[in-house]
Amino acid sequence: MGMSKILIICYGNPLRSDDGLGWRAAEELAHSLHSPSIEIVTCFQLTPELADSVHSTDLVFFIDASRDGEPGELSFSSVIPTTATTFPHYLSPPAVLALAQQLYGNVPPAFLASVCGECFELGEKLSPKVAAGLPRLITLITYAAQRLAR
Amino acid sequence: MEQGRTIVIDPVTRIEGHAKITLHLNEHGRVEDARFHVTQFRGFEKLCEGRPFTEMPSLMARICGICPVSHLIASAKACDALLAVRIPPTADKLRRIFGLAQVVQSHALSLFYLASPDLLLGMDADPAKANLFGVFEKNPQLARDGIRLRQFGQQIIELLGGKRIHPAWVVPGGVSEPLTEARRDAILATLPEALQIAERTMEWYKTTTESLRGEIASFGNFPTLFMAIVKENNGLTFYDGKLRIVDPSGNVAVSALDPSRYWEYIGEKVEPWSYLKSTYYKPKGYPDGVYRVGPLARLNAADRCGTPRADQELAEFHEIQRTAVLSSFHYHHARLVEILYCIERMEQLLNDPEILSKHVRAFARPNALEGVGACEAPRGTLFHHYKIDEQGLIRWANLVIATGHNAVAMNKSILQVAKHYVHGDKLTPGMLNRVEAVIRTYDPCLSCSTHAAGLMLLHVQLMNAAGDVVDEVRR
Repeated sequence: MGMSKILIICYGNPLRSDDGLGWRAAEELAHSLHSPSIEIVTCFQLTPELADSVHSTDLVFFIDASRDGEPGELSFSSVIPTTATTFPHYLSPPAVLALAQQLYGNVPPAFLASVCGECFELGEKLSPKVAAGLPRLITLITYAAQRLAR
Repeated sequence: MEQGRTIVIDPVTRIEGHAKITLHLNEHGRVEDARFHVTQFRGFEKLCEGRPFTEMPSLMARICGICPVSHLIASAKACDALLAVRIPPTADKLRRIFGLAQVVQSHALSLFYLASPDLLLGMDADPAKANLFGVFEKNPQLARDGIRLRQFGQQIIELLGGKRIHPAWVVPGGVSEPLTEARRDAILATLPEALQIAERTMEWYKTTTESLRGEIASFGNFPTLFMAIVKENNGLTFYDGKLRIVDPSGNVAVSALDPSRYWEYIGEKVEPWSYLKSTYYKPKGYPDGVYRVGPLARLNAADRCGTPRADQELAEFHEIQRTAVLSSFHYHHARLVEILYCIERMEQLLNDPEILSKHVRAFARPNALEGVGACEAPRGTLFHHYKIDEQGLIRWANLVIATGHNAVAMNKSILQVAKHYVHGDKLTPGMLNRVEAVIRTYDPCLSCSTHAAGLMLLHVQLMNAAGDVVDEVRR
């Protein structure tokens, strides 16, 4: 039996302070994960083309800053396909999965990992609370990906 | 007597960026005037002042998340002019391939993601269904093809430039890295599938639009000039050439205009109700000097494409009308012809033995204090114009973008559609969607590279002259 293919989609705007969490996480994960079965993708927004990548993988992690909760708080939840978001320029994680399911008849298990942001103004640095939450997120994703990629 | 009223569509949905439309009604409830307001402000021309000119391509690419490659190319060409260098032939060809790939992904976004719900589901479709999910329900192959074709263009941009959005591969004097054989072969391997999709979509488009004759007749169907850069043989190009202006009867009005002296024949007008500058053809003045740019204008201006399938389709396109093809609805058709051309042309360029040459950049210090770069962006002619000081710092910049060229025509188009479909005493989603749909034919790009936090929902208000809301529609 081959290794599971894992897709990690890190998204946000690296010029909007804490919204750059996904990009920072991608840099860190590139150092901690070296399996050929793990692909890390960075993007500004989730667009319909991702459905094509999602459907041909076994597990998906979405990583983004959130606005819900206390700044620096880590959250991790499963993502269920839903078509509620339909704007063509950017989709939500549930909409990406729903599109993959509709277009290709296959949707893998997916999870969203977030750290709640504090500052979304112009800037290339994470706020102290989000920067402090980043290592916990990296540990979580690295552990989960390494176990599941076996 | 009943007072005059205004209908506001804010924001306009399924376009690139942020805008609103106001329809001004007279005392009889009939549309009297219409305006397309661009409500976002970017200010790139001011914020780049004082920066080294070598930074300009990368800075200017940030203007847009959809067509950064066009800004990169126009900016690099303006910098080439500042260096006063002739870039290596391979760099020229690689830039062309880069631009063609972007046209494919941009046109795919416009046609499949933004416009196909109108074309496939109809202008009166439930707004909640007017998206890719709705398209999938009715035509799964079309939805899959749209996603695949956009991905095709983006993958080529990534293979050449290192990343899909805001790549910095195009630099003053050429490109930063040569093309490897492996990457050349990887791109070539994707072309047959892309061509199949383009052919299948063209066939679908021609049968689907049979039922939209009313829209074809009323969507920006009026005489204007058409402007585009053409090659020396008056063929279609996206990279370099002279400007050609065609009149409404299809005759060449002016040819061989030098793009680097655009200000001699193109004027820019600032209207107090929009951040978008409106351009006009100076000899005819404003607003009589209205002209259109982009796919429709390029095909009206070009005598040929120079690739087999696109040339067949261009001949058919020119048969739509004995004069220039006037209805803006045909922008969609023109996009498909251009997608075919781009795929075929990329194959020609990639099979050129010179394409793998390592000599891809010319180096020089600034040799001129002023430079203009022009190219054909997906939406039309794009000019970047810079002035620098002796230290190579930007002292002045002017950008003339495709959507600005089309601003006057877009206003006229909205007015035509609104007069045809909108009556002030009754607001329906289908009626208002047609007003938005005519804007979508132009695929205006108002910059959407920012990471928006909110959703763009349609909000329409009907107001009397006193500013009181007398009717309201949200969706």
